[in-house]
Amino acid sequence: MKTLLLTSAAIAFAATGASAQTTIELQRFFGACDADYGNSTDVDAAVGECGIITTLINRFQEENPEIDVEVTTVEWPGYDQLNAQLASRNAPDVVSMHYSAISDYQSRNLLEPLDDLLAEQGIETSAFTEAALAGVTKDGQIYALPFDNWTMLWHVNLNLMEEAGLVNDDGTPLLPDSTDAFFEQAAQFKEATGKPYLVQIYANETAAYARLFYTFLMQQGVDPFADPSQVDLSTPEASAVAEFMKRIYDEGATTTDMDYPAAVAGFGAGDGGIGINGTWLIGDWAAQSEEEGNALSDGYTVYPLPQLFEGEPATYADGHGWAVPRDPGRSDEERAAIGTLMTFLEENDGAWARTGHLPAVAEVIASEEFQSLPYRDNIAPVAEMGQSLNPEVRRQFAIQDIIGEELNSAIHGTKPVEEALGAAEQRINDLLASL
Amino acid sequence: MAAPHRQSRPSNALFAAPYLVVFVALLVVPLCWGVYLSLQKADLFGLYGYTGWTNYARVLGDALFWQAVRNTVVFVAVTVPVLVAIGLFLGLALNARTRGAAFMRGVYFSSTVLSVTIVTLIWRFVFIPGDGLLSLAFEAMGWPPIGFLSTQGWSLFSVGVATVWWCLGLPMILILAALQQIPGDLYEAAALDNASRWRTFTRVTLPQIRNTLILVATIQIVMQFQLFGQAQLMTNGGPNGTSRPMVLYIYRAAFENWDVGQGAAASELLFLIILVAAMGQFWITNRGNKA
Repeated sequence: MKTLLLTSAAIAFAATGASAQTTIELQRFFGACDADYGNSTDVDAAVGECGIITTLINRFQEENPEIDVEVTTVEWPGYDQLNAQLASRNAPDVVSMHYSAISDYQSRNLLEPLDDLLAEQGIETSAFTEAALAGVTKDGQIYALPFDNWTMLWHVNLNLMEEAGLVNDDGTPLLPDSTDAFFEQAAQFKEATGKPYLVQIYANETAAYARLFYTFLMQQGVDPFADPSQVDLSTPEASAVAEFMKRIYDEGATTTDMDYPAAVAGFGAGDGGIGINGTWLIGDWAAQSEEEGNALSDGYTVYPLPQLFEGEPATYADGHGWAVPRDPGRSDEERAAIGTLMTFLEENDGAWARTGHLPAVAEVIASEEFQSLPYRDNIAPVAEMGQSLNPEVRRQFAIQDIIGEELNSAIHGTKPVEEALGAAEQRINDLLASL
Repeated sequence: MAAPHRQSRPSNALFAAPYLVVFVALLVVPLCWGVYLSLQKADLFGLYGYTGWTNYARVLGDALFWQAVRNTVVFVAVTVPVLVAIGLFLGLALNARTRGAAFMRGVYFSSTVLSVTIVTLIWRFVFIPGDGLLSLAFEAMGWPPIGFLSTQGWSLFSVGVATVWWCLGLPMILILAALQQIPGDLYEAAALDNASRWRTFTRVTLPQIRNTLILVATIQIVMQFQLFGQAQLMTNGGPNGTSRPMVLYIYRAAFENWDVGQGAAASELLFLIILVAAMGQFWITNRGNKA
């Protein structure tokens, strides 16, 4: 009996030893879609952010059976959870992070600089686009593997635009080139279709308001954070943007009350002509337009947000990267596994670009595969126009919430525009002063 | 001779020790730590020195904090009486030994076992414009749609509806248990005296379950002051902060702005408010009892 027990214990021990794996924890947003892609490794067949990242990680697992990637999916953007994990010294090994959030963590020494790790893997920083590299570089060091650049876009329902007579002879949509032209088109659209011109995210989210606000300020050549420690919203340019956004609402040129999922579904269902939403939806909507019998069938295209103010073309842009929280107890094996994963992600940046995001790897942009993806010509100017906020500005997500909340008040008329901008300025400066 | 069982001995404390240890470790220590934090400049990753009452001054000088206090007080003042009233109504209606009543008790209690995420998801389907249940109903009636989750006033109301639906089970069950404790002979006596149903209700039933009603109200006051998940998930406190409760304010300060000192100061103030409200309610109802 004793021998039997000892033997079985020895077998069990050997079995554990034989399957010894390095486990790394990966935490990301981009949604959960295990029902569709949980077991799929067919990256090419996947659509959308969630589908592509899920199949990519599955593929990585298949190719690297010695590494076990434990994926935790968090509600976008997931920083509250990450903060709690960091505070309790229980952070994941790899985490998805916006370029705009890196300075918060880097300034508190919570992230691992990745220069050495990437160099060991043979990844040269020159491989990345300038915009992507700038997004992840702080104080001369790289704090995340850049994965993409993204921006808000002008997603067009060509079927409705045609109905409204807002297309050129070559079938491309008419894009407004001023705020006046915008309202003329909106009126024409509404008269012809009975629907609002824009489908926007108006409820339960602040990011969309802030991104549009930044874009239209940048279009006027204004940087509200010229001084990263305080914001200036008392400018006539800021008022002009807020007044413009309010007029869109006042004139009924937009859907109202939609939250993010409702706005995505709404544009897909033909609730309006133009969906203002991110690069990440190009893949989904392009796929929808290839199917029969829906509002976008054979009638979808996409452009950068049009230049509506006088100034150089500009649009607010950010990006996603993969950061590595500091962990003094991380083993060499884990570190190597993280390196292998980073290499895999870098090598597959082209697959990720199918979401609609602009690739972070320069080679991918130049590739024929990327160039042949639909609508990429249209949005190519974003590479030149895209601007981020002053990278030294900390708490950009909290600031985004404040701006979104106050603009929401101004747009819905619960506060006069000047009062809302004043309140936003005061709240942001109070926040930045307390850092 | 055996010692009288009421005699107190130091070793008796051992029986209370397991609870006390957990109570001190999980409640008293964090409470004291919270007070300490509220007097510090602190983020989630470190302390940067004693700042005295600065955090309290910042919280008390913040219009958003007072807005959150107002929202929370209004929310408690509306939801708690509604919860007690509907709980009492359901308790009375389902206080029968029939299969149907037992089934319905299960139905009404079932929402309580759901997580806040599921609850808010369900109510999102009801309130969201476009494809939402209410939106479709309004459309069918030819009424203009209301943005329940994004209109000032309606957003807090919507959170309240979801909360009442979610929290109704506990008051109902507690009241039901109390109703079943009422001796039958009291009702017999009332019947012999030819008391009307209303009189029986006000003179027999209500006095008998009075303590339970006080308990239910107190529990609900404490619980509803801590409103958080529903508001965060359904409206994110919007629009314009009109559905932002105090706990969401604290959460924002601590986790989004990383200002743990300010969050802790606001938490201590919330603690005081809940204490005063619960004690006040207890005092008012007890005073009536002794009179």
